[in-house]
Amino acid sequence: MDLSLDESQQILVDTFSEMLEKECPTTHVRDHEDTGFSESLWAQYCELGANAMGLPEAAGGLEMSLLDLGLVANLSGRALAPVPFLEVATVGRLLAKVAPEDAALGALAGGVPAASIALPRPHAVLGTSTTSGGRSLIPFGTIADQVVALDGDILYVAENGASRRSERVQDIGAGALAHWNLDRASDARILASGDEAVAAMRRADAEWKLLAGFWLTGIAQRALTIGSDYARERIQFGVPIGGFQAIAHPLAECAIRIDGAELLAQEAAWADTADPDRFEMLCSMAFAWGSQTAIRTADIALHTHGGYGFSTEYDIQLFYRRARALSSIAGGAKEELQTVAELCFDRDGSGKAASLLGGAQ
Amino acid sequence: MDFRLGEKAEEVKQEIRTFLAENFSEEDRKEAAEDGGGHNWELYRKLAAAGWVSAGWPKEYGGGGRDPYEILTLYWELCKAGFPWIGLLNNGFIGHTLMVMGTDYHREHFVPKIASGEIAFALGYSEPGSGSDVAGARVTATQDGDDWLINGEKMWTTTAHTAQYIFMLTRTSTQDRPHRGLSIFLVPTDVEGVEINAIHTMGGERSNGVSLTDVRVPDANRVGEVDKGWSVVRFALGLEQAMGYADLQERFIQQAGAWSLEAGPDGQRPFDDARIKEQLGQTAVHAEVSRLLRHRSTWLAAEGKDLGGKGAMTKSFSGTSYLDDAQSWMDLVGPAGLLKEDEDGALAGGNFDEAFRQTPVNTIYGGTVEILRSLVAEVDLGLPKSR
Ligand SMILES: Cc1cc2nc3c(=O)[nH]c(=O)nc-3n(C[C@H](O)[C@H](O)[C@H](O)COP(=O)(O)OP(=O)(O)OC[C@H]3O[C@@H](n4cnc5c(N)ncnc54)[C@H](O)[C@@H]3O)c2cc1C
Repeated sequence: MDLSLDESQQILVDTFSEMLEKECPTTHVRDHEDTGFSESLWAQYCELGANAMGLPEAAGGLEMSLLDLGLVANLSGRALAPVPFLEVATVGRLLAKVAPEDAALGALAGGVPAASIALPRPHAVLGTSTTSGGRSLIPFGTIADQVVALDGDILYVAENGASRRSERVQDIGAGALAHWNLDRASDARILASGDEAVAAMRRADAEWKLLAGFWLTGIAQRALTIGSDYARERIQFGVPIGGFQAIAHPLAECAIRIDGAELLAQEAAWADTADPDRFEMLCSMAFAWGSQTAIRTADIALHTHGGYGFSTEYDIQLFYRRARALSSIAGGAKEELQTVAELCFDRDGSGKAASLLGGAQ
Repeated sequence: MDFRLGEKAEEVKQEIRTFLAENFSEEDRKEAAEDGGGHNWELYRKLAAAGWVSAGWPKEYGGGGRDPYEILTLYWELCKAGFPWIGLLNNGFIGHTLMVMGTDYHREHFVPKIASGEIAFALGYSEPGSGSDVAGARVTATQDGDDWLINGEKMWTTTAHTAQYIFMLTRTSTQDRPHRGLSIFLVPTDVEGVEINAIHTMGGERSNGVSLTDVRVPDANRVGEVDKGWSVVRFALGLEQAMGYADLQERFIQQAGAWSLEAGPDGQRPFDDARIKEQLGQTAVHAEVSRLLRHRSTWLAAEGKDLGGKGAMTKSFSGTSYLDDAQSWMDLVGPAGLLKEDEDGALAGGNFDEAFRQTPVNTIYGGTVEILRSLVAEVDLGLPKSR
């Protein structure tokens, strides 16, 4: 057992932390609330190779592991970075597997965030659809020109974004969301069909959720720091409010849940190669738990601020809103927990598969 | 990173499963649950004979030198199987503590007998007037020649009725701050002046109250210096908090999962109800997180790193999440969930009833969740001491 990062992972963390501290203070996040996307910050990401980190060498990538990608996602969450790191990483890896010659892959590898993904939602969330002809809210749908989607067992690219996407729709998380018409009848390029297509989307969905789990954990970690800093500084009744158990204990409970979320995301990333049977389930767990933890922590940290937490002037509300948004865009925790149950207890629908609890030895 | 416990742990798992298959029948399991004392001499001695009581102690003292991952696996498998293992746990801790902090006499006289399964110890910290405030102990030890006389009441001394000794926290001075006047004694249970009374619990666990009247104990039975017992207690308490109940959570969710996949009286699988599915997912996530936190504590210990508040995190999360789940499930499964194992119509072998009755104590003993949260707030978040 070894739960520490290796030297190259530590360097990766240091590099991105340094860049984000400099380039993405919360003022930068605020300055981009009107678009949800920072082109200049994305350029910095690309400079450090973030756009192609997870791609195979043949596609111009660095062939780094999901754990490496996760570490970057985690730091991005801490900084609330308004960049499409999750979508670019996920779509790029999907294309590299099923359509390595596809032009969209070249664009992503070249640093253009031109493609996003319509995440499948197996438990029918009200008012959304990812099937052909349906309208779907797409993360970074405002800047993408193409969206990868699954319709039945057909994996395709909805092209020609200009004719498909709505204007940016404003959301709680100040994201770069747009409605997309995913109609497959025209301007669609089929990537794969049958089992291969379904498996490829399942995999991409799992990877997005895994990285989102890291990202959400990052949001929670930063929110906790902001909350506990405030609890040490704010004086009421002549003492720091952090000395009141009603303030301290909920924060401590968040610290505990956050450690669990981080370990869970790391375990899932590690399982990609070391425990592949459990990989998908762990990704799903990482997203569900990351969601619950980030939303709860941002809430506790906000309330630690009293009235000031509710004012736009204080940063904690930025975290409160984005934790909710990143979770909901993929359906939210309640939806995801059902997927966890299916993957854990009934992978093949037969009701006979052994449960996946217990971990690798 | 590597999340595996390793090959040696895997071997222990197989070994213990074989041991359980050969020595621990379904009847034994039910008997242990019925008895609730947490210790069974016959079974315990079989474990001792196979070297498991002393498995985690350092080799140079005659222990098994097994690594923390192997010991984790040992406890995990026994606990999950419903084996009465509290005696093993206590004696593992105490044997280890005596080796590290005891005298040559303790190492020669007590340690080999603990290892062989001849004698067992109960933990005597809590009293009627002091629980969370462990250092508030008022049972007194006063010197009388070469001996000490012990007086007062201990409470919640689990396994005292089957143990030969109690590892007892006593007050030897009231001159200084409370935790500076404490000393530890190994107090025999079969001598004059010791009276042990059963305390029964909602979860079926049996504990004890112990009253002590002029109980004579030789000075040789003192562990650590006079008035410096607090450091000994801290060492032993730390070992306990880093564990949690992930093993039981895993058993609980596995039984709930298996139950949900069988068609119920209406021909439907509970699993196909979205509410059940969501709760299964939640419980599975909690079990996985508890397991990871426990593995991390074990890893930190194995690496000789400082646990900080990480041990407290393990127990706190596990205790609260298991309790939450047990309560949520009860609300979902309807009246049949109330029935005990073997009652007509009981669900999942009484899984829900058992968890509902047993989980409240997990956030209480070995340090309440409130105490653990204060510790995490202070140590990990740097917040002021809160009381
Ligand atoms: C089944 C069982 C077995 C046990 N076995 C053993 C054993 O073998 N050996 C042994 O020594 N003990 C044992 N215990 C005792 C156990 O460790 C204590 O019950 C526990 O530490 C709590 O102490 P208390 O019950 O006196 O509660 P109290 O300390 O009186 O606490 C009451 C409530 O006040 C809260 N509280 C107390 N202080 C604070 C504070 N500073 N800040 C915030 N909240 C606070 C507590 O969290 C709790 O909710 C056992 C208990 C049980 C129930």
